[in-house]
Amino acid sequence: MKSKSAFGLLFFFLLGLLPFAAALVYALLYSLGIVGILSEGVSLTHWQQVIQSGELLGSFLYSALLAGTGVSLSVILALLISMGLRTSLQHRFWSLLMYFPLAIPGMVASFLSIQLLSKAGFFSRISMKLGWIDRLQEFPDWINDSYGIGIILTFVLIVSPFFVILFSNVYQNERIAELSTLAYSLGARGNQVFWQVTLPILFSKTKRIMILYFIFLLGSYEIPLVLGQESPQMLSVLIIRELKQFDLKLIPEGYVVAVAYTVVIAIAALLVFRRKEVQVHE
Amino acid sequence: MFLEIKQLSKSFQNDLIVDRLSLSLDQYRTLSILGKSGCGKTTLLKLIAGLETADQGSIRVNGEDMTGKTPAERKIVYLYQEDLLFPHLTVRGNIGFGLKLQKIPASDIKEQVDLMIQRLELQGQGDKMPHQLSGGQRQRVSFGRAIITNPRLLLLDEPFGSLDVGTRQRMQELFKELTALYGITSLFVTHDLKEAILMGDDIGLMKKGSLQVYLDKQDFLLDPLTGVRSEIEFWESLLKPNY
Repeated sequence: MKSKSAFGLLFFFLLGLLPFAAALVYALLYSLGIVGILSEGVSLTHWQQVIQSGELLGSFLYSALLAGTGVSLSVILALLISMGLRTSLQHRFWSLLMYFPLAIPGMVASFLSIQLLSKAGFFSRISMKLGWIDRLQEFPDWINDSYGIGIILTFVLIVSPFFVILFSNVYQNERIAELSTLAYSLGARGNQVFWQVTLPILFSKTKRIMILYFIFLLGSYEIPLVLGQESPQMLSVLIIRELKQFDLKLIPEGYVVAVAYTVVIAIAALLVFRRKEVQVHE
Repeated sequence: MFLEIKQLSKSFQNDLIVDRLSLSLDQYRTLSILGKSGCGKTTLLKLIAGLETADQGSIRVNGEDMTGKTPAERKIVYLYQEDLLFPHLTVRGNIGFGLKLQKIPASDIKEQVDLMIQRLELQGQGDKMPHQLSGGQRQRVSFGRAIITNPRLLLLDEPFGSLDVGTRQRMQELFKELTALYGITSLFVTHDLKEAILMGDDIGLMKKGSLQVYLDKQDFLLDPLTGVRSEIEFWESLLKPNY
């Protein structure tokens, strides 16, 4: 049993951790000018340039804002759907309908958003037909816009179904229906049951997944590539843009952004996911 | 009478679960209801607690008609068969849950919860989460959480069914101590014959949705339907010399 566990750990180290660590070390060396086609020896110049330009910080804050808004809206929408349609979601049809958006790739979802949300898109035309706007150009800018509305709505489209399924499962597994009945019996009213029982239990059981989804959206690429604007850009788009520059001397700056992003996320993840010792006394 | 139930009926999809049931109970007394699984015991308690709606009949507590009242308005606490604790709250949070709903000042809640923790013999466990407790400790928290709200009526649905013999016995003693101390009126549902006799001031037998409440324990012991006599005969047969 012990040897099996050791073999598993070795396997995880060789296939999971080692390539990632090697890539990170390579990126760090590249960012410091130690490796690379045009390396000029150890230097902090690229780090200084990236930090001084403010683009990394801007991109990080912009990405965090969009990812945070996307996860928050998805969670709220999923809560409304999973609590409002609790009985319906147990039926196969509705359940399948919820699973369906999970199968849509980011790139496809992005083009779907363009079809729906652009000035020449579905909603724009419907709005004109209904007489809400006189010309298609009057429809608000939701694609490649400065507030990232198109990106956020697409995040919500692909993320919220996952949370609907998650909340529905947690609701059943944690026996929230019975706990709610108990709370009623102890004197709680409808809103007290929701705010003091349903919501805290759902959040306490899913908060880590919410954080993981935030990290996932923070590093998402296809959706901000298609629906985002030129500046600021989300982190992954910025990193790829920096790495594919024509000026080879500037490529280390791409690695600077990548290393900084990885280190910040790794530290944040370690802080969030550190486990506490739990003792059970029988 | 403190609790008066008249002609109470409830059906689920043409299946009559509670059938024109009537009972009455004085204040500060415990009525044990003995019954097998599926006899309608849980439905009866849920009807009294307002967690189910009766098809017909009336429930009056201290002269007040409970018809149309929400569970919160009834001030009747229903205790589940299992030690169902709020998983996101500590022992202290669980016990004080009902008091917090009543918007009692935090200092008063702390004082009452500390006293209850002491009475439940859970000193030093107040800041633990439910998953850190044993089955008996969880059941005590569940029990304390119900009693601390000083309910008009406490409904217990086979509360000690999942406990081992020793813990069950200690919980039965604790129940009697605390209900006497807090002046609780209660209905105690069980399928355990011995528990029904031990826990109740009055005893009833429930069968197919109907309840028969006995005049006294002697009356209960003598009725062959309760199973007491066959139980006694079984133990006596074990004690007889085997020729």
